[in-house]
Amino acid sequence: MMDDPTSGQGAGPAGTPPANDAPAPAAPSAPAAPSAPAAPSRPSGSGGGFGGGRSGSSHGGGGSHGGSHGGGGGRPGGGGGGGGSHGPRREGGGPGGGGPGGGPGGPRRGKRQYFRKKKVCRFCVERVDFIDYKKAEMLQPFVQERGKILPRRITGTCSRHQRWLGEAIKRARNIALLPFATEL
Amino acid sequence: MDERLYDLIFILLPATPEEEIDKLIATLQQTATERGGTVEKTEKWGTRRLAYRVAKNREGYYVYLVLRSSNNEMVKELERRLKVADAVIKFQTIRLDEELKRQKKLVQRRERRASRRPRKPAAAPSAPSAPPSAPAPEPAAAAS
Repeated sequence: MMDDPTSGQGAGPAGTPPANDAPAPAAPSAPAAPSAPAAPSRPSGSGGGFGGGRSGSSHGGGGSHGGSHGGGGGRPGGGGGGGGSHGPRREGGGPGGGGPGGGPGGPRRGKRQYFRKKKVCRFCVERVDFIDYKKAEMLQPFVQERGKILPRRITGTCSRHQRWLGEAIKRARNIALLPFATEL
Repeated sequence: MDERLYDLIFILLPATPEEEIDKLIATLQQTATERGGTVEKTEKWGTRRLAYRVAKNREGYYVYLVLRSSNNEMVKELERRLKVADAVIKFQTIRLDEELKRQKKLVQRRERRASRRPRKPAAAPSAPSAPPSAPAPEPAAAAS
């Protein structure tokens, strides 16, 4: 029972601004007085127990991109939606410190709190059978500013389309439509 | 050997005069036909910003050709000519027919499935994903 609220704090920082901080820590701390030491250790150790391996891995991704994705935990809370890949990139993201302190979406408690919105492959939705490497603007959302191809776990692309996408991006790079790496 | 479809894109120096570009395209067209190929489409995209510097240029004039040939010598010769041309700073030939074949197969499969569907809903109308797929294939095929 105690695990759920704590991992929830770890998972939902970006969706809700730090304004929610105040009520969040207060709520669990009152009933959790005896198990207080256990509470903080949970989220930091396993990267959000409930989110599972996926949540943990997206956390790592965010970190390696110089924090441009903010806390990986932001995804389940805010992300999702139609913006597929735009969401993760532009998101201000909760700062690392905000992770453990961030409030869970609301006062509601329970397992479903950190339910991560399922990402849907954008190409599958539009029934794309061929990704054209000549449409650089269309590929742009799937590369970082520095030119790296965004991983599937961020964009939600299905494996087949990610494969085609990677190929298209590489072709576009070869003909200078997309950068290999942005030079400064 | 069956026919193959190629995309050929090349980038010229941005300062290349228009008539020289036309001349180059004409010679390429001629060599293509000489080697048993056809030029299906010629597009001049004009001057575009390059994603990175190529031969110290930040901009380049893009020309896009679609070729069809059953003779691989054609591509070899075209690439040789592009390499020799001074104004060309970059070129890329991509063979597309296999991907288009794959695409066609997917579209066909979807259509087949869609055509099979109408009978199904009578028996089991509860399938929620069935109806939207029926009208979708055509726009998807047209867009890609």
